[in-house]
Amino acid sequence: MIKKELELLVVLQDLDMMIDEISEVKRLGFEAENEENLRKAREELVSKISRPLLFSYEQLKKRYKRAIVPVKEDNTCLGCFIKLPTSISAKGRADSEVMRCESCGRILYWL
Amino acid sequence: METQNLLRYFDENLFIPNLKATTKDELLKEIVDQFVNVKYLKNSQIVLEMLYQREMLGSTGIGKGVAIPHGRTTSSSDIMIAFGKSEDGIDYDSIDGKPVHLVFMIIAPPQDENNMYLPILGKMVEILNKSKNRKKLMSIESFEEFKEFLEKE
Ligand SMILES: [Zn+2]
Repeated sequence: MIKKELELLVVLQDLDMMIDEISEVKRLGFEAENEENLRKAREELVSKISRPLLFSYEQLKKRYKRAIVPVKEDNTCLGCFIKLPTSISAKGRADSEVMRCESCGRILYWL
Repeated sequence: METQNLLRYFDENLFIPNLKATTKDELLKEIVDQFVNVKYLKNSQIVLEMLYQREMLGSTGIGKGVAIPHGRTTSSSDIMIAFGKSEDGIDYDSIDGKPVHLVFMIIAPPQDENNMYLPILGKMVEILNKSKNRKKLMSIESFEEFKEFLEKE
């Protein structure tokens, strides 16, 4: 369940990065005219994510390019490269709750 | 950006000389599955979602038989480029309506070292705009030949 929601958040972040780079991609000669489609997809996605998680995401986005980051196999946060305590990674892997990195605050995502 | 510098983003495991796909959806899935099979990506669903959304923005079939599906994804930590070919052609909804024979899929992380992602995309467009390059790429059978092509170009 949580994992599913975190996956939606990852999809949202990927979509936001795409929206941010539309003009650059266009400049390279690609077709990227239907920005409206992405805005609609974003709205739809956002409606599936819980308010508190979405709020955390938006707040983190103000500080970082990536609000949600994968955890590396050796249990380091890919946002700040600090090793996570085993208690956090155990909980995160179990998908029991949304975990955030203790040092940078980013939302953690176990691939 | 120099063409030779592109080489490091390619990999023999991501060289698909005989694509099976006949449609855009099949193609995106076939290549993403290959990334997953060789363990360069873990979650195919998330990457496919991103690629589908990119196509909603506008077709990455840039015409003349070429497609460059691309995007950044949180689930990748490096820039990687897959190269595939289809003799028969793929129904891709390209901007000129023609089937696609050459495919370069470019997957990038949210942030990449030295900000290479956009220059790489631009370089690929530049290379593929030349008809002699498209012709050469269609004749390539092995990854060795492909490397030679990039080194010489
Ligand atoms: Zn961190």
